[in-house]
Amino acid sequence: MKIDLSQFRQTFLQESAEHVMTMEAGLLDLRSAPTDTELLNAIFRSAHSIKGGAGSFGLNNLVRFTHALENLLDQLRSMEVPVTEAAIAVLLESVDVLRVLLEAGAEGEDAPMPAGAPELVARMEAFISGPGSVADGAPAPRPAGGKEAGADPTALHDSDLKVYTVELEPAREMFLSGANPIMLIRNLASLGTLTCCQVDTAGLPPLDGLDPGQCYLRWTIELTTARPEEELREVFEFVEHLAKITIHSSPAAPPAADLAVKPAALAVAGTAPPAKSTALEVVPDVAAATPAADGRRVAQRRAAEKKSGGGAEASSIRVSTDKVDRLIDLVGELVIAQVMTAQMVEGFTPGCLPKLREAVAAMERNTRELHERVMAVRMMPVGSLFQRYQRTVYDIAHTTGKQIRLEISGEETEIDKSMLEQLGDPLTHLIRNAADHGIELAGTRLEAGKTEEGVIHLRAFHRSGRVVIEVSDDGAGIDQARVYAKAVERGLVAAGTQLSEEQINMLLFEPGFSTRDEVSDLSGRGVGMDVVKRNVQQLSGTVSLASVKGSGSTVSIELPLTLAILDGLLVRVADRTLVLPLLAVIETVSPQAGQVSRVAEQGEVVVIRGESIPLLHLRRFLGISEIANGGMIGGAEGDQQRTLVIVVEAGRKKIGLVVEELLGQQQVVVKSLERNLHRIEGLMGATILGDGCVAPIVDVAVIAGMDLFTLQAPGSRQPRAILRQPQMQAS
Amino acid sequence: MWNCSEQAVVGSSREGFEVRKVLIVDDSVSMRQMVGFTLKEGGFEVLEAEHGQDALDKLQGTSVDLVITDLNMPVMDGITLITNLRKQPAMKNKPILMLTTEGLASKKEEGKAAGATGWIVKPFDPEKLLLTVAKVLP
Repeated sequence: MKIDLSQFRQTFLQESAEHVMTMEAGLLDLRSAPTDTELLNAIFRSAHSIKGGAGSFGLNNLVRFTHALENLLDQLRSMEVPVTEAAIAVLLESVDVLRVLLEAGAEGEDAPMPAGAPELVARMEAFISGPGSVADGAPAPRPAGGKEAGADPTALHDSDLKVYTVELEPAREMFLSGANPIMLIRNLASLGTLTCCQVDTAGLPPLDGLDPGQCYLRWTIELTTARPEEELREVFEFVEHLAKITIHSSPAAPPAADLAVKPAALAVAGTAPPAKSTALEVVPDVAAATPAADGRRVAQRRAAEKKSGGGAEASSIRVSTDKVDRLIDLVGELVIAQVMTAQMVEGFTPGCLPKLREAVAAMERNTRELHERVMAVRMMPVGSLFQRYQRTVYDIAHTTGKQIRLEISGEETEIDKSMLEQLGDPLTHLIRNAADHGIELAGTRLEAGKTEEGVIHLRAFHRSGRVVIEVSDDGAGIDQARVYAKAVERGLVAAGTQLSEEQINMLLFEPGFSTRDEVSDLSGRGVGMDVVKRNVQQLSGTVSLASVKGSGSTVSIELPLTLAILDGLLVRVADRTLVLPLLAVIETVSPQAGQVSRVAEQGEVVVIRGESIPLLHLRRFLGISEIANGGMIGGAEGDQQRTLVIVVEAGRKKIGLVVEELLGQQQVVVKSLERNLHRIEGLMGATILGDGCVAPIVDVAVIAGMDLFTLQAPGSRQPRAILRQPQMQAS
Repeated sequence: MWNCSEQAVVGSSREGFEVRKVLIVDDSVSMRQMVGFTLKEGGFEVLEAEHGQDALDKLQGTSVDLVITDLNMPVMDGITLITNLRKQPAMKNKPILMLTTEGLASKKEEGKAAGATGWIVKPFDPEKLLLTVAKVLP
C-alpha cells in the first residue's frame, strides 16, 4: 500500500501562511511585552508546526531554516536568551524568508535557500548562548521512506543467518505506559523464526500478593534471522527505559566479508540527512549575487511570486461554521417550500392559486437569500490584511529612524475576498506614503508641538452601503502650494488656473506626480498614487484625499458593496424595526428626567457622566409620527418608560439616538437601497428580517454628520417615502 | 447465516468485531489530516481533537484504542494530556503515541516519563506510521 500525502500540501501551505502571520504579529507585539511567555509559546508553536509539516512534502530547506528559527525561539521562551529588539529584528527577517520558502513550496518545489538566509541563520545562532545548544540535533529532512535499505528482505542471504538470544526483563510498571510484552515478542517474531521462547515465572508473587497491574515475568527468546541486531533493538525502541534487554548473537557468525560491507552501508544511510552546519551553508548560486539588501530582494521576490502564483491561494477559502450552518438552514427552508409547492401542484384547483403564489414567493425569497448567503461566504474580514501593515510600518520606522505607531480599527469589517486581495498593493503604498512622507522625524514633530511618535490610523467601516477604508496620519500634511507649483511645472495644469483645495489634492493622483525632489528609497518606487487610484477604480471604488498642512492627511477609499453583512442592533421606533450597526453602538441608556435638557442651537442633549451628547429622535428623523411625545424625553407626556437612548459614535462624534425598544442583536445582510428603490440619505441600506419585513439600516456616520438641530424640525426628512410603503417587497 | 458470521470474524480485528478507533490530537489541521488519512487507509476509525483539553472532552463517554498526540499545543499540551489520560481507568493501559520532531530529545523523555507508549517522528512516513501503530496496538 502506498499512501500519498501530497493532497494535503495545500492545507499545509495555507495553514503555514497563517502561522507566518501569527509569528509576525506576535513578534511585533513582543516588542511591548518581551516577557510574555504565552506569546512566545504561540510564536514557537507556529514555527514548530511549519517545521513538522514541511518535511512531509519534501520541503527540506524549509525544514532546515525553521529548525534554526525554532532553536532560537525555544531559547527565548525558556528565558535562556533575552528578548531584545535585535533578536526580534532577526526573527522578523526570518519570517520573510519563511514566506519566500512557502511561496516556492506552493509551486511544488523545494525552494533554494533565499539569499541572505545562511547569514540569518548564523545571526540566529549567535543569539543562542553556550555550545550545548549546537548539539541539539540536526534537522530532520529525512527522505520519506525512512531507512528502508536494511529492511529489504531481498538483500538478505541465508548465509547471513544468525541466532539471537534476547533476554527481556520488563520493569514492574511496564504496563503503565501502555506497553505490552506480548506485542514485543510478536514483533520480534515477525523479523525471523522464533525458535524458542521461555517465560521465567520466578518473580511471580503468591496470588494474594499479586497486583495484576504489574509485570512480574521475564522472557528468554531465541530468534533465527538474517536481520542486523539494530532491527531487533528497534523492536524495543519504546521500552528501553522500561525493560532490561540483552541481545547476544550466537554461534553462526557471518563471513567476514559481510561485516565489512554492512557498516559501510549503514554509514551511508547515516549521512543521508545532511548535518546542520553544512546544509545551511550550501546555498545555490543566487546567494552570492547581492550580499546586501536581501530584505528588499525578499520583498521583491515575494511580490513577483505573488503575481505568478496567486492562484494557489485563491483556490481555497476558510468559512466560519456559522455561515455554513446558516446555509444549511436555508436549504432546509427551501426544501420545505418546494415540497409545499409540489403538493399544491399535485392536487391543483383554481382556489389554490393564491396559496400557490405564496408558496412560490417564499421559495423565491429563500432562493435569493441562499444566493446572497453563498456570496457572503466569500466575504472576509479586513483584519488579516490590516495586520500585515504593522510590519510595513515597523520596517519604515526602523529605516527612517522615525517613531511611528499604526492603529487599526474596524478589522472585522467584511469585504469580498477578491477585493481584499486586490487592496493589498494600494494600501501598502498608502501606508508607506503616510509613514515615509507624512510622519515627520521626532525632532521636527516636537518643534511643531506634536508628540514624538507619529500615528497612522488604518480604519475600515461601512458607510451608505459602501465599505470605506481610510489611511490617515498626523504628519506634515500636504503643502498645496508646492503641489500646485509642481503641477504647473509638470504641465498638468496651466499656470494661473484657479483650483479648489480638493482639485489640488486630486492632482497627486495624476500619473507621474511626485512632490519629493529626491525619490525616497521606500515609497518612491513602483506604484505611485496614480496606480492606487487605478487599482481602486478597477474595484469600482473611489479614492479621495483630505489634508491640512501641518496636521496630517487622510486618504479614503470607498468601495461599493451591493452585499455585505454586519452585526446589527435591532430597535423599535413606533411600529418599525430599524437596524443600527452594532459597531457604532457604544452604550444604551434609559435617561432620567434630569439628564435631558434643551440647549440653544443644539436641540436636545442628554448628559451622561458629565458629557453632553446631542439627541436625535429617530421617530421624527424618519418622519414616522410627529404626534406622540412631541416634547422632550421624560417630559410632561410621561413617556419615559418607552424611550431609550442609544449612544452611537461616528468618527469622533457621539450622538444619542432615541428609540422605543431594543429588540435584539442579529447579523443582517445589507441590501442596497439604490438598487431596489433609490438612495436615501441617512440609511445605508435595508435588510430583510426573518419574518419577511424590511428593516432600514441607519447610517450612523451620515446622521452624525448632519446638522441635528435642523433635523429636529418635525417631519423634515425624506425617508418617510420609504417608510410609508408598508411591507416593501425585497425586489 | 453461519458463513456470514465467520466472514465477519475474518474481516475484523483480533479484539472483536469493531473497527478500532484512534484519537489524533494536534493543533495543526494539516497534520491531523495527514495522520488521519494514513490511519483511515490503514483501516482505522479516526477521531480528531485540537488540543489536550479538546481530547479529554472528546473522550468523555467514548473510548478509543489508541491516542496519537502532538506535544506543542495551545490550551493543554501533550505531556499534560498524557499525564491526565494515565490517571483515567479506561486509558490507563492503552497505548499513547506522541508526535515529536527530532530536535527535542528532552521532550521525548518528558513524554516517556508521563507515560507515553512510544513516539512517531515528524515528518512521518505513512507506512512507517502504520507499522509503529501495529507495534503498540495489541
